[in-house]
Amino acid sequence: MAEEKYPINIWINEERFKQLEKAGLSDMCEEMLAGLKVFRVFANDAQRDKILKVFPTAKFDSATTKSIELLPKDVKDAIFVKCVEKKSMDVLDDFLKSY
Amino acid sequence: MAEIGHGGKEIVERIMEPAQAKSKIQNLAKIPVRSQIANEIIGIAYGFFSPLQGFMGKADVESVCKNMKLANGVVWSIPILFDLSDEEIKQYGINKGASVVLTYNDNPMAIMEVEEIFDYDRKSMAAAVYGTDDPKHPGCSRTYAYKDKFIGGKITLINRPKINPPYDPYFVPPLELRKKFKDKGWVRVVAHQTRNVPHTGHEWLMKGAWFQTYGELSIEKPIVGVLVNAIIGEKRKGDYIDESIILTQDELRKSGYFGDHNHLTTLTFWDMRYAGPREAVFHAALRTNLGLTHHMYGRDHAGVGTYYGPYDAHHMLEKIAKDLAIVPVYSMNWLYCPHCGEVTSEGLCNHKKEWQKFSGTLIRSIVMDGVKPPRLIFRPEVFDLVMECADKYGFGSPFVTDDYLAKRIPVFEIPPM
Repeated sequence: MAEEKYPINIWINEERFKQLEKAGLSDMCEEMLAGLKVFRVFANDAQRDKILKVFPTAKFDSATTKSIELLPKDVKDAIFVKCVEKKSMDVLDDFLKSY
Repeated sequence: MAEIGHGGKEIVERIMEPAQAKSKIQNLAKIPVRSQIANEIIGIAYGFFSPLQGFMGKADVESVCKNMKLANGVVWSIPILFDLSDEEIKQYGINKGASVVLTYNDNPMAIMEVEEIFDYDRKSMAAAVYGTDDPKHPGCSRTYAYKDKFIGGKITLINRPKINPPYDPYFVPPLELRKKFKDKGWVRVVAHQTRNVPHTGHEWLMKGAWFQTYGELSIEKPIVGVLVNAIIGEKRKGDYIDESIILTQDELRKSGYFGDHNHLTTLTFWDMRYAGPREAVFHAALRTNLGLTHHMYGRDHAGVGTYYGPYDAHHMLEKIAKDLAIVPVYSMNWLYCPHCGEVTSEGLCNHKKEWQKFSGTLIRSIVMDGVKPPRLIFRPEVFDLVMECADKYGFGSPFVTDDYLAKRIPVFEIPPM
């Protein structure tokens, strides 16, 4: 069975979209909500559990979207910056190392 | 004419004028109370919790836990308790038959006639009310935090709370609210229970409930209203700040998504228990007292985590329908369908594969990122007001932070007498 993946939704405004274009990642954006773009960084079970433990305000929306929500803005900003720097969405292990 | 509330009992405000109370309280023991108890004193004294006249005695607690009824047979689902430690009881010399003054902000708030001092097993209480004794459930955890003994007895408010801006226009006690409904000519009013800033899913829950409530009534004149009754109580970090909740709910009316003819926002002081089905029953009693004829219930009403099924509250309400004087209105979820290009009900639209569901949590995550959601999902006036409230009341954050908890403007204060 394929491993479950849980998205962290990073909402994309124009400025962020330009950064993703430069990093060659803009195609990874999805239109998720009435045209609003989202860049989704996926966590596996272990990463999800660690995120929920390390950032107690974060919440796993088990009922509606199966996504990890309410991460502090600076944490999501840092994940986004790492994706742009590494030109990859596979950054969570690296990001979580320091926690 | 008498105003009849929950359980068929007349709503009577238990309020004594301060001038009359001043001499009565001079030699009485003064007991400070925390915000939960102060909220509940207001609930009892103004008739929000009618037919309760005070904090519950053991017979009521026993009956509420076992039968979901007060000892007099009226449906009631959640114990309303005043707790003190053994040490406090000794320190204040509290005895059965005595009267004491309950103080808040160091000022006299209410007289309590002590009728009973009793103990009750917290674990069995939690299991009965919440359907679990898991200490992780916030209601159970509140139950376990009660001090050694419970004090039962009638309450009389002797000093009205001063409601601080921006909340002041939204505190409308039951008798006053019923008058407002009459003035507006509303013959049916449906309650929207909330602790949230509204996204359009919430807006459509209200609109859908309004249509359901209108039913067979004549449409020649506007005679049906929606009452947004926001629950204001204990906050947790990450919640929207209270100022945002109450002001944005009203903004839907001010910005024309509703109007004066069909929408009103008020608040009730209450620390949510997250009791799911039993909280739904409590809401039915509360809103009956406010003069509402209908009450909207969505999925997993007042639930938390995975403790309750999505329709447990509906099933509970159906079981006791004959004992309630309010009609439950059940609502399905609303979502965005890109094919329809609109917010629609999951009960209507059949483009299931294209549905874009959204929750309050998801919207909070967008707001937290500082990104303005599309107007079909979150009204621009609401977003702008959330951000304005963050600056004005939230110390820069639209959500509850340590700063907000420490320095926020109190919703109400008890003034000196």
